[in-house]
Amino acid sequence: MTIVTGTAEARRRLQSARSGVLRRVWEHRADYAYVLPAIAVMLIVIAYPIYYTIELSFFKTPPGLQLRDKIYVGFDNYTNILTSPVFWKVTWNTMIWTLASTFISFVLGFGSALALHRDFIGRGVLRAILIIPWVISAVAASYIWKWIYHSDFGVIGAVLVGLGWADRPPNFIDNVTTVLPSLIVVNIWREFPFAMIMMMAGLQTVPEQLLSAAKVDGASAWQRFWHVTFPHLSSVSTVTILLLAVANFNSFIIPWIMTGGGPSNASHIWITHIYELAFGRQLWGVASAYSVLLFLILMTLGYFYVRALSGNERKEGSA
Amino acid sequence: MSTIAETAPRGQTRRRMRVDGWRWGGRIFLVFMLLYTALPMIWMLLTSIKSGFAAMQFPPQWWPDEPTLASYQKLLDPQNSVGQDFLRFFWNSLFVSTATTILSVIVAVPAAYAFSRFRFPGRNFLFFAVLLRNMFPAVIFLVPLFILMRMLGLVNTHGSLILTYLTFGLPLAIWLLKGFYDNIPVQLEQAARIDGATRFQAFILIVMPLSTPGIIATAIYSFIGAWNEYIYAYTFLSKNEQLTLPVGIQRFFSENTTDFPGLMAASFMMSVPVVVLFLVLQRYFVRALTEGAVKH
Repeated sequence: MTIVTGTAEARRRLQSARSGVLRRVWEHRADYAYVLPAIAVMLIVIAYPIYYTIELSFFKTPPGLQLRDKIYVGFDNYTNILTSPVFWKVTWNTMIWTLASTFISFVLGFGSALALHRDFIGRGVLRAILIIPWVISAVAASYIWKWIYHSDFGVIGAVLVGLGWADRPPNFIDNVTTVLPSLIVVNIWREFPFAMIMMMAGLQTVPEQLLSAAKVDGASAWQRFWHVTFPHLSSVSTVTILLLAVANFNSFIIPWIMTGGGPSNASHIWITHIYELAFGRQLWGVASAYSVLLFLILMTLGYFYVRALSGNERKEGSA
Repeated sequence: MSTIAETAPRGQTRRRMRVDGWRWGGRIFLVFMLLYTALPMIWMLLTSIKSGFAAMQFPPQWWPDEPTLASYQKLLDPQNSVGQDFLRFFWNSLFVSTATTILSVIVAVPAAYAFSRFRFPGRNFLFFAVLLRNMFPAVIFLVPLFILMRMLGLVNTHGSLILTYLTFGLPLAIWLLKGFYDNIPVQLEQAARIDGATRFQAFILIVMPLSTPGIIATAIYSFIGAWNEYIYAYTFLSKNEQLTLPVGIQRFFSENTTDFPGLMAASFMMSVPVVVLFLVLQRYFVRALTEGAVKH
């Protein structure tokens, strides 16, 4: 008996030495209690949907049919998507939408942050006003701009006619060529304050001594910005741009409320297209396959996101 | 280095001019941004105090000839059906947003604390899982979540929205709070524990009071997120009396497409609570958002 427990003891010790991870998990068992509520909620609402989406992407779900009567079709949904012209049209729109929104929002936000960095009278008020579009609902923003762009009574059209730049108010929304840029203007209106806040915080971390040292050495304002300020902001910029890109890629409300993807798909982006496939045309299988493709794209973006974040951590650790 | 030093005297005069140039450029840029930001909001306000007839004119009345609060009266009057609907949507939004806010603070506080303080295996993985979740669009989760909510019997209840918003607000809430906990010195808790407090007591008595700004910020963020959410509310709720403001307004104005003063008044009133909340507490809000990102 003693021998058995002796060997069992030895084996356990050996095992625990080998699987240090398990032992550490056990030692920290109390710590998990703090994260458990968060993890539990997310497992229910996130892990299950992901599983279900992947499963559904291999099935055909004819409209009007119950979901449990789905028909297995293998990779058909995927091949259909990749060979359809609408897919390429929507992908192209999404690329323009995401890149233009992200880039311009970042530039305008960064510019505002730089201009607001120096103290002046009314700075706090100005900053607050510039942030408001980001706080209000995207639904409200969509309606405000829909009214501004209105083809008969829109204020922009009236200004253009008043200045003599147009004979009659242009129709921004119902025009295949102008609809996407018009919506991007709305999106930037709502997104640039986010970049501004992030960059303002970033600017505060640039050491003042370094800037004055550069000034003493005769560096011009541009040189100080380009060689001192900008390198200091590289990690904040990366995170901001990635967050903006993800948010823009995932936009839904502005195109959905303002145009619903029209006219003739000119303002459909991936998310609105998926929504219409699923809830408009009841093609759940195709919509799921789209979602899985979306997952893959986002995972790639996410990889860079995590790398940017852990890059920051490493830098901070060594500093 | 030496070349810069040699040209310094000449650079001196040139720099003064340049600095002015930059400063003026900055001012002009700010004026442009102010116009871009404020003009649409001003136009919303001006339209909301016009009559329906005055709004539909070309060229437009730049300043309303006969300003009227009729649209606001209509929306806030519990006697007529429009006012009843609007007030009910408003109340629904308020209820869902408040419940979401309280719950997400309760769940996010311990999680953020753990991510900040403990070095348990899988900590990094869990944390990045939390962040990555933020990246996936709502649409992906709509169908399965709808089915899940049906299984739980939550379709057409506010419970479905609260549960969903809670999950989707959590990653950011945890991230924001973690930034705050990272800045509270561990020594404070260690001192408390030497004095005989348990880890939990140290957390409740020392760390919680110090992290109040972070908790306020997280709460505002959750509230604004829930208040403005559209796509889940649009999908999960179909009964008119359950709708939240964004969806309710959309439903209403897809039937009354020409009532632009009413639409602008509704948009304005929908924005008031979040803008006021933001303006009063913006210090916490801005700080929290940046703390996480910059310090992380």
